Amino acid sequence: MAEGDAARIDVEGLLADALRPIEPPERLSGRIEETFSKITQAAADELSSWADELSESELQSLRDPRNWVRPVVAVGAGGLATGALVVLEMRRRGRTRARRGFRNIAGDLRSRL
Amino acid sequence: MSEEPESAPAAGADPAAKAELDRAFSDLYRAHLRDVYSYSYYRVGNHHDAEDLTEQAFLQAYRHFERARRESNGRPLRPWLIRIAHNLASNYHRDRARRPQTPLESTDPIPAKHGTEALVEGREELREVMANLEHLPTDRREALIMRFALGMDNREIARALGRTDGATKVLIHRAIKQLEEEMNRDG
Repeated sequence: MAEGDAARIDVEGLLADALRPIEPPERLSGRIEETFSKITQAAADELSSWADELSESELQSLRDPRNWVRPVVAVGAGGLATGALVVLEMRRRGRTRARRGFRNIAGDLRSRL
Repeated sequence: MSEEPESAPAAGADPAAKAELDRAFSDLYRAHLRDVYSYSYYRVGNHHDAEDLTEQAFLQAYRHFERARRESNGRPLRPWLIRIAHNLASNYHRDRARRPQTPLESTDPIPAKHGTEALVEGREELREVMANLEHLPTDRREALIMRFALGMDNREIARALGRTDGATKVLIHRAIKQLEEEMNRDG
């Protein structure tokens, strides 16, 4: 083994000896666990107060699937109405174009006579 | 201790998912409390600040645990935890360096007389290696702490330091080589 390799192994051995893991003091575990308990409790309190803000009838209403259908029907009805307006507008434009065509033909005939 | 308000991980609105997430975090905490504490201790050099740093590290980890777990794709979360502790230790040293009443010399992460003297038990070589460790550049010292105090492999250290595996291997090699040279010069 080369001299350099022997020196390296020695340093690594010394490092492994010197940098031993340090056991955390027991009070630290207690302190951290207490903090987590407080956070969890605070989150639970916040959730329950948020739920309290909605009345029971509001919660029932949110849970009722019929209340999910109504908005869908409304959107559908709106879409149909818009479609009908578009068709009417196209028909109106179609009639105007036909009328204009008839007028043009009549004018053309008149000019020929 | 951080004054920033903390909150539990979201886990949607599903209480069962939230409970499962809390259980997973609890396992992570139990498995790595000693790692985070050891790393913090070797970075700051005293138990009081190491305790504060450890607590802050776990609180930060708790806040971002759900996302970290999702993005880890099943890989171990120890490097992520150590990275949090690493960032907090860097902030600690930066803040101490800014304090006008604190001399810059005393910002050294491992004080000359630190708690590991008890472990050294009179062995001059160990004292010497610790003294030389203090003189290494910060990134080299951090990598050696992760390797020897925490038993992390190159890949884990790379993830904790945000480097490539290759760069980490070179970093550790140079750190050991520098220590060898300094110890040979001293001895």
